[in-house]
Amino acid sequence: MKIKINGQDFEIKPGETIFQVCLRNGIKIPTLCGTKNSHEGVCRICVVECGGRLITSCNTKVYEGMEIVTESEKISQARRINLELLWADHAGKCAACKKNQRCELQNLATEQKIENFHFIPRKEELTDRENLDLLKDNRSRVVVDEGNPCVSRTTELCVECRRCINICPTKELAFNHRAGDAVVGTAYGKPLDCIFCGQCVKDCPTGALTDKNDLVGIQAELDDLKKMAVALVDPAVLESIALEQSEINSEGKLVGALEALGFEKVFDLGFGMGLALEKMAQAIKTSGKGNLMLSHCPSFNLLVDKYYPQFKGSVLDVANPDELMAEAIKGDYAKLHKINPQDIVVISISPCVAKKKDRSGKLDHILTVRELGRLIRQKNIKLAEIKSVGFGKDFAVKNESAKDMKRAGGAAEMIAKMTGREYIVADGVPQIKNILRDLDKGRIKTGLIECMVCPGGCVNGGGQSRK
Amino acid sequence: MKKEIKIITKNWGKINPGRIEDYAATGGYAALSKFIREMTPQSALEEINVSGLCGRGGAGFPTGRKLGCVALEKNQEKYFICNLDESEPGTYKDRSIVDNDPHMLLEGIIIGSLIVGARKAFIYVNGNYGKEIGILERAVEQAREKNFIGESILGSKYGLEMEIFAGAGAYICGEETALLNSIEGNRGEPKARPPYPTQCGLFGKPTAINNAETIANIPWIIENGGKAYAKIGSRKSPGTKLFIVNGAVKNPDVFEAPLGIKLGDLIGKYAGGIQLGKEFRFAQVGGSSGRLALEKDLKLKLEYDCEAKIPLGSGAVLVVDKTANIHELLLSWTGFFRRESCGKCVPCREGTFRLWEIAKRLQDGEVSERDVAAIQDILWTLNNTTFCPLGKFAATAFSDALENFRDEIYKISK
Repeated sequence: MKIKINGQDFEIKPGETIFQVCLRNGIKIPTLCGTKNSHEGVCRICVVECGGRLITSCNTKVYEGMEIVTESEKISQARRINLELLWADHAGKCAACKKNQRCELQNLATEQKIENFHFIPRKEELTDRENLDLLKDNRSRVVVDEGNPCVSRTTELCVECRRCINICPTKELAFNHRAGDAVVGTAYGKPLDCIFCGQCVKDCPTGALTDKNDLVGIQAELDDLKKMAVALVDPAVLESIALEQSEINSEGKLVGALEALGFEKVFDLGFGMGLALEKMAQAIKTSGKGNLMLSHCPSFNLLVDKYYPQFKGSVLDVANPDELMAEAIKGDYAKLHKINPQDIVVISISPCVAKKKDRSGKLDHILTVRELGRLIRQKNIKLAEIKSVGFGKDFAVKNESAKDMKRAGGAAEMIAKMTGREYIVADGVPQIKNILRDLDKGRIKTGLIECMVCPGGCVNGGGQSRK
Repeated sequence: MKKEIKIITKNWGKINPGRIEDYAATGGYAALSKFIREMTPQSALEEINVSGLCGRGGAGFPTGRKLGCVALEKNQEKYFICNLDESEPGTYKDRSIVDNDPHMLLEGIIIGSLIVGARKAFIYVNGNYGKEIGILERAVEQAREKNFIGESILGSKYGLEMEIFAGAGAYICGEETALLNSIEGNRGEPKARPPYPTQCGLFGKPTAINNAETIANIPWIIENGGKAYAKIGSRKSPGTKLFIVNGAVKNPDVFEAPLGIKLGDLIGKYAGGIQLGKEFRFAQVGGSSGRLALEKDLKLKLEYDCEAKIPLGSGAVLVVDKTANIHELLLSWTGFFRRESCGKCVPCREGTFRLWEIAKRLQDGEVSERDVAAIQDILWTLNNTTFCPLGKFAATAFSDALENFRDEIYKISK
């Protein structure tokens, strides 16, 4: 089957959308609401021309003999107007936005050469009455949600693209109200209280959903000479840090950049992972025969707490590697080096958003990959001049394979080796739900169950950066 | 005037809508027993095809074809939905049908469901029609007692369950895919087509969705034959239609008139002409989403025809005289769409809001050049890029008004 795109013939497979065909063949179509897997067709920016009519490329299936034009005056007019309309509703002060330079709306406006926003009236063109009207009606419906420790929500910056709604594995988010008042929100407008996998934050094109943090405070602690800042680097961070800052392409460069940021010590979390694996294996050996679930995914722990309390007893009670290592640093390590534990700030660089919730006092902060990138940009570190440095030797990784915990199935494999039990692995909430259902009905006889909420494990964690 | 042909309004005012016996005494439910005793679904469908009946909701899609599509589907489970989510401003034809003759509608729904092979029918009622929901509930109860609804209707192999579903009064839920979303319990928003509801509708099953007025025609067609129906009205779209004439006329009301009637005749002969001391300026045909007909358009025929200059829409005619304030009209139109947009796609959600904002600034008749450019841009994007037809409708009346009365609407302030 063939179709014509911009006069050229292209091979198609039945059931594909125009957008997929173009993506496969390297023809660029801008889009805001769509991702590789979802096609809502709501932003109307991916429009293409077919027989003189504008159609959305993301949700229109191709058919034999279709003729498509992807660039024309009509198309760019549609893209320009719809983008301008979005901007008119966007309260962004870009310089202070957490997504500055990483914002898809901003990038699209640059790409489509938007120069003025004429849907917002100028003050001097308005009469007093009109001005008052404008103040009265303009965007009364804004939802700001800071009621949880992991995710900040501000609908002022939202472009209503629905990516968060589509990606959410537990369907916490949906639209409230209608027309211009439509905002993404939770049921009854309560503060977000979910499993905090962070996939929505990862997918959000603008600054509407961001990691909750206090970067100014963290930077102050890093700069404080009296305090010793210790960074714990999760091996999974290296998967996507290059997307955030392309110069950081190796482990050594990352350690160098962290030291330039003001960290006194940078340790590999692989040590903590080894510790966690040993503790979990220990706990399994001493426990009985029944099914046991590994506890290193904080999002999974929240999922069990919230939706499957009947399984709470079968989840191991071992803290995650970050906590174990923070405890070791503030305990034995501080004693050995005669440092007051209160002067140590332990910050974990993590691909996980859920770790921010329910922290013990030992671990001071969690920084996601995105937040680390922003800190580096804010401090204006010259990354090209940074030298490669190794991890701190005090907590050398004993067993390199412990780092495999970053992908789904890694931990279970190793613990199975240590304990001689059989195991099964589930990644992604749909799989977890299936397994827990089977478990409920007594269909599972295996000993160990590893569940990771993010598909593929921490390598695709909610705290990672996205292309 | 010739002898009027009345199909839908034949019993209005003559029977008690709360009594099924009254309707039966005028020959009601005879079509249903004729269908069950003498016809097969195929032959009944053929009659509807011959009649040329087309959808009365606004789009004018041939009803026979729609029912035929669903009837052909192999799926065991099918649904039939009567769309009574009438929320176009100034339109109350479906409400009048329920108020005056609910059993005619029920008979149409039953026959339509049996034709397509549906065992469950829904009546989707606008949530604001509290009284009508009561009437329908009673009517369904009575029909069930008489065994017109339920298992083995009138002793035949056919069975049908009927449910009344009250929406929340949103305009967009009159759009068929949004209506499906609403019944399924989702947010009332349109879905992308294809797949069409005839193949994959309610809960993924083939579904026939028809306007209440369309359905009310079915008993007559079954009883008198498709050929007799095809003789009424115009050649392109046969039959009669309920017209609602509002505004500066002597006798605003619902009228049943054959399709193809001239707009001038409708206003002059049926609605009693323009009120004394007032002068005709234009008429808006089809509710808030309709186009404007000027004096020169009064001789145009009102019928369902995709090439018609003035689309008929829901059949509402708003007659505007020369004393009316055009700015207030603009504000009312844009305000309606700004309120009723579902908020799904960008051009409609943001465009209708900005257009309403500009319409407010237009009240003193002065705007800046930037606003004029903004109006052009918004109308263009509403017309070309919205997800569903609502966005297109939002631009129609505004564009027409600008085209015809530009000088009166604004002058550009320096």
